[in-house]
Amino acid sequence: MRCSLYALNRSVVMANMALSCCARMKNGIKILKATGNFSRVGAKMQANYCVSASSSQTYPGITESTEEYKYVERLIPPSSVPTPPKHDQYPTPSGWRPPAAVPPALPYMVRRSRMHNVPVYSDITHGNRKMTIVRKIEGDIWALEKDLKDFLTHTSGTTPLMQVNEVNMSIRIKGSFDKDLKSWLLEKGF
Amino acid sequence: MFRRSLSVCCRQIGKTFLSTLPEDVGLPSNLKLPPNLISTAKRERPSPVGSGLPVLRKCEIEIPPQLSAKQAWLESLKDDTLGLVELHPDVFAVPPRLDILHEVIVWQRNFKRISHAKVKTRAEVRGGGRKPWQQKGSGRARHGSIRSPLWRGGGIAHGPRGPTSYYYMLPMKVRVLGLKVALSTKLAQDYLHIIDSLEIPTPEPQYLLDLAKQRQWGESVLIVDVHEDMPENILKATANLKTINLMPVIGLNVYSMLKHETVLLTVDAVNFLEKKLLWHDHRYSPLYPFRLPYNDFP
Repeated sequence: MRCSLYALNRSVVMANMALSCCARMKNGIKILKATGNFSRVGAKMQANYCVSASSSQTYPGITESTEEYKYVERLIPPSSVPTPPKHDQYPTPSGWRPPAAVPPALPYMVRRSRMHNVPVYSDITHGNRKMTIVRKIEGDIWALEKDLKDFLTHTSGTTPLMQVNEVNMSIRIKGSFDKDLKSWLLEKGF
Repeated sequence: MFRRSLSVCCRQIGKTFLSTLPEDVGLPSNLKLPPNLISTAKRERPSPVGSGLPVLRKCEIEIPPQLSAKQAWLESLKDDTLGLVELHPDVFAVPPRLDILHEVIVWQRNFKRISHAKVKTRAEVRGGGRKPWQQKGSGRARHGSIRSPLWRGGGIAHGPRGPTSYYYMLPMKVRVLGLKVALSTKLAQDYLHIIDSLEIPTPEPQYLLDLAKQRQWGESVLIVDVHEDMPENILKATANLKTINLMPVIGLNVYSMLKHETVLLTVDAVNFLEKKLLWHDHRYSPLYPFRLPYNDFP
């Protein structure tokens, strides 16, 4: 039963194909009569993807080429942040300056972030409590805390509250001083 | 009065008697040391910094200018010390963050855990659909089913329900920092050794045990190489040993490093670790998962 149904199906498909081929052949002959050009007929036949005796000679076949892969390769993004190029003049138009080539002779060190920026961030809680955080500190954190205190008392007049986190090696300062601290650290050469 | 003085005297006598006995009589049994124990304190190795031996391996990745490379001895499983190697300070000399080690170890133990404990509730226990006796008149307490949690044989009200997963993922950078902290602490405590290759002269396990004893590596050793295809001799030697284990470097984890007393790394494993662990310090956030191709994935 199944075999006969399959055969029936196949015969129907073949008939359809034959019909479509016949239809396309008729179209081809129409074009030939209209243009008198065999190549146009062939092109039209290829466009219709008709597998018939006349067009199989002009069908080019499939060629594999890996030369176009370069257009894909240049779209794949990099995974790591590049080192910034050498500029003629610092600071750059955006205000960025690279760290000093020789690290300053201080008992502490503040590393740059992965995007090569100074690691001073502002934090806000409860909508009105502004804080500044200095991260990525290495070395004697208390010496840096003392220097920060002196600098901020000099600029703002009052001594701000500071929290030294020795585990994370960061300092949290009450008040928003991020611009001042960024410029101060840049001057130091970090 | 006589009884009091007698008790005091007895206590004094007891104290003097106890002092003649060995000191660990009052200790619990698991803390008593065996009398024939010959304990030798771990002899300190000379620091590799001052010696004049040649540096056989330098860091390929740039070291920040304020830090200097850590130096370690390069040993061999066959011969004596071969020389020195330089290790990157951002992998082998990070500050000892014990809280991160704890976090990573707890994660390692729990994220694979699926507890299959399951008990039946009153709905699942067989029976208990019918009201056992009428609501009023019988003189007994009112009940709706014989399988309520109040009843013996009844369901459990708030018991463990079904397979529970304790899966969670720590951020990738925390796990990476955990590895760095573990390597740094092992190096600082003199439990990390760098070896050139895993070749040993015999496939006898006793060779490795004697070597560990002679070089005072401790009770357990973890040997790490880059690939799984290691020399046959060492594979055979460690096949039946419980305390000395081999591991490819992709399987290196904080739990195993802390479980084994000594960790031996080959120079290729050190290269691999430095490359992979330092990439995380200057990578972008993933645009798409890192298992898909990127331009310059390490």
